[in-house]
Amino acid sequence: MASLFPKRLLGRRSKATQTERVRESKHEGFLRYADFRWAKISGGLCLLVIVSYSLIDVQPRPNGGSWYGYTLGTIGALLILWLTALGYRKRRMTRDYWSLKAWTSAHVYLGLSLLVIGTWHTGFQLGWNVHTLAWALMMLVILSGMFGVAVYATLPAALSNNREQMTQMQMLEAIRAFDRQLHAAAQPLGPAETAPVLAALDEDPFAGGIRARLSGRYPKCATAAAHRALAAAQGGDAEARAKVIALLTQKEAALARLRRHLRLRALLEIWLYVHVPLTFALLAALSAHIISVFFYW
Amino acid sequence: MSFILRRIATTKTGKQIVRDQPLAGDSITLGRDSGNAIHVADLAVNPHHATISSTDGRHVRIAAQEGLGFDLNGRTLDIADIDSAAGAELRFGGHRLTIAREGEDVILRVERIDELSQASKDVDEARAFSLAGVMPGKRVGAWSFAALVLLAFLIGPIWAWHSYRSVDERPQGYHADRAWLSGPLSSAHASLKNDCQACHVEPFVAVTDKACVGCHTGEHKAMSQAHAGASTAMLLAARAPPGAGGKVLAGFAQAFNKPQGRCVGCHTEHEGAGPMAATPQAFCTDCHEGMAARLTSAGFKPGVADAGDFGTSHPDFRPLVRAAPGAQPLRATPGKGAVSDFDGLKFPHELHLSANGGVARMAASFRGRYDFGKKLECENCHRPEADGVRIAPVVMERDCAMCHSLAFETVGGVTRTLRHGEPDQVVADLYAYYRSTGPTRPLQLGGMVRRRPGQYAAGQVYNIYFRETAVRPSRAADAVRAVFSKGGACYDCHTIHAPQSGNDWRVMPVHQTPRFLQKGWFDHDAHKETACADCHIAAPKSKQASDLLVPGLTQCRTCHVGESGATLAKVETATASPCAMCHEYHSDGGKPWVPARQRKKPVTAITEPPPGRTYAVREITGPNRRGLYAVAWRRPAKWGG
Repeated sequence: MASLFPKRLLGRRSKATQTERVRESKHEGFLRYADFRWAKISGGLCLLVIVSYSLIDVQPRPNGGSWYGYTLGTIGALLILWLTALGYRKRRMTRDYWSLKAWTSAHVYLGLSLLVIGTWHTGFQLGWNVHTLAWALMMLVILSGMFGVAVYATLPAALSNNREQMTQMQMLEAIRAFDRQLHAAAQPLGPAETAPVLAALDEDPFAGGIRARLSGRYPKCATAAAHRALAAAQGGDAEARAKVIALLTQKEAALARLRRHLRLRALLEIWLYVHVPLTFALLAALSAHIISVFFYW
Repeated sequence: MSFILRRIATTKTGKQIVRDQPLAGDSITLGRDSGNAIHVADLAVNPHHATISSTDGRHVRIAAQEGLGFDLNGRTLDIADIDSAAGAELRFGGHRLTIAREGEDVILRVERIDELSQASKDVDEARAFSLAGVMPGKRVGAWSFAALVLLAFLIGPIWAWHSYRSVDERPQGYHADRAWLSGPLSSAHASLKNDCQACHVEPFVAVTDKACVGCHTGEHKAMSQAHAGASTAMLLAARAPPGAGGKVLAGFAQAFNKPQGRCVGCHTEHEGAGPMAATPQAFCTDCHEGMAARLTSAGFKPGVADAGDFGTSHPDFRPLVRAAPGAQPLRATPGKGAVSDFDGLKFPHELHLSANGGVARMAASFRGRYDFGKKLECENCHRPEADGVRIAPVVMERDCAMCHSLAFETVGGVTRTLRHGEPDQVVADLYAYYRSTGPTRPLQLGGMVRRRPGQYAAGQVYNIYFRETAVRPSRAADAVRAVFSKGGACYDCHTIHAPQSGNDWRVMPVHQTPRFLQKGWFDHDAHKETACADCHIAAPKSKQASDLLVPGLTQCRTCHVGESGATLAKVETATASPCAMCHEYHSDGGKPWVPARQRKKPVTAITEPPPGRTYAVREITGPNRRGLYAVAWRRPAKWGG
């Protein structure tokens, strides 16, 4: 433990700043922060819990109401409160105390240690009750957090590749440009052929619910439908139609890029829609769990 | 009158540039086709969409062609007449046609009002590109989930408790506080699973003994005699100081008002369905381990020795014995030499259990008549009580008389025996025997028996007969003396007091102790799979009846280990033995309570398949063996039975 908190943390400020600068230049993320300091602390904590659980013979049988269970439960409840405080901490811009990166690193690794602390607190007695509900919610929150860490580690690269130096608004602007051209190019077409083009123009690129966002599949895409309809059309102004078809192809490519972008962003964000609401459900269940124990003492 | 097409363009700075273009004729066309007078570049407009005409220069008729109409005041029309003085707004696809009148002219203004495409509409970048547009807000989810959980799992249960606060018994059905059940109740309490308040009467007050004895009116109401007799100060002094974990638990208990020493301290609930778990040994050893020193230092006199675990720290047994012939029975004090128990008999077990020698020969000669084998076995003389727990005292007529006959005469096929247990009667019977009947006619007097001539003269025969008769009275006294003296039938087994002044022959009373171990419970029935000599190891070598043959701690420990398997020596088939296996807390001296599941079944469990021809035997004939225990075969489950 001594090496995990070197003296420089406590006093020698200038050297600490220097270390921080080195870290910034190396783009050290929250996972690798301070040479996995919090991973080591959290791993040690888990190991301590597992080993002591196997060594301590709790009478009459391990459960949350034994002294060991109380200890783990108290530690777990305090940890949950502290982990929830990340939402508060990240909204407070401050140079004091811990950097947000250090806080996040501790949040991730100590959150993972709750898998062991919370589960071992149960003494492996689970049932259909508020106590197990609190445990299950905690597990869901942790699992969603693990998903979040995983996508943060892997998806930004894919997001960057897909954008190819474009900003989001540039992607949208490209689609708008194709729309204008399509509109102009389709003028010579007859009513039967303009209808699918109009539908393609009327299509909202941000339409489609959460399912379309996460899967990236848009089976009712009007642009693709217009492409098919015009490719099958006969007669009329063939030259104009060929131009429209070419434009539709280009718009489809631009749409596909935007949709890939939307999908990656959805994957990056969706876990928070589980993590945050379930955290509050967990806090409620935890309160009910603790109060119920003392209510029916 | 003329139609004037007015176009208004807005510059980036917001300036408007108005261009008017007169259109020739009373009738003009509007459409997407460039040949129209009013050319609307809108895919939603037909190539020749409508004709705008006026006959009087004031009223304008708009007629749609090619099927698609136009919108006027929210309705789709194909034809409309409009007073240009009043003006109107018409809608063709994404464009608006405004009709107005300025002087003599009808002003037509066409402008695009819809965006060219859906994508061209303004978007809020932060919202459109994130999930915020397609998901309900995180805050909404957070607060609604939290509220739901609190409602269902906190407010609901408290409401359920509040509703039935002053009700003796809740109605059947689901109650919201069922969600608080921390674990299934034991089978005895299973019916209370919907009625938390049966035990948890007051909120934030730990379950009280009052709730238990409300139903448990009879049994288990009192503490053990030994513990009830001790003062509270003594009981507190006996308790071991808590370790680190105990301090944590005590801290919680203290902080949250959870008193110690309640029924539920030992009888823990919510530990799972099925019978309530037997009380673990820690509830005894918390005090009894190292108790003597604590009691002594607190100024109390310890009454019992320390016991921490049967496998490692248990005091020696203190069987109830008579330390000298005729002494009062007292519990033996261990560590003071060999313990003797004088029951008044002379019985060398060694002689009787020996594999060869007179006893074995005699037993072998009785095979077929009694259930003897080639030698005597324990169960040939010792029988269990009806309940199987203890061994019944030996009864002479039943258990000894097979060999130790007290018969002295056969009259007409009936054997006369001396009366056992009544020495006065024995004396009287012997005197009567020699006085009342003539001597048995010697066999050689039989008249039909062939004899060598001259061998038995008549005088000789009479001599035999009359000599017998002459000596009879004095022989009766001799016979009595002989029976009570060394070599005599009584003396062989009993301690005899010779006649003294005023007394005749006396036999010392026999006291067979029915239960040697008064404080612990030993059940022979539970041990019937074990041979007697496996535990009573001293029996085959015992030469004195006063040898105490009750097994000691060492014999028990060859199988019985501590609750958690602790043991001093290696044990082959270990039986975990918590305190409650032998000691009962509530009813001193009674049989310890055991959950039904753990009770031994009255059969011998045989898990190995029996040898091939075991089941081929249909019937066993011959005399019934008087075995100690009937052995029943139980087919193991793995054979599908």
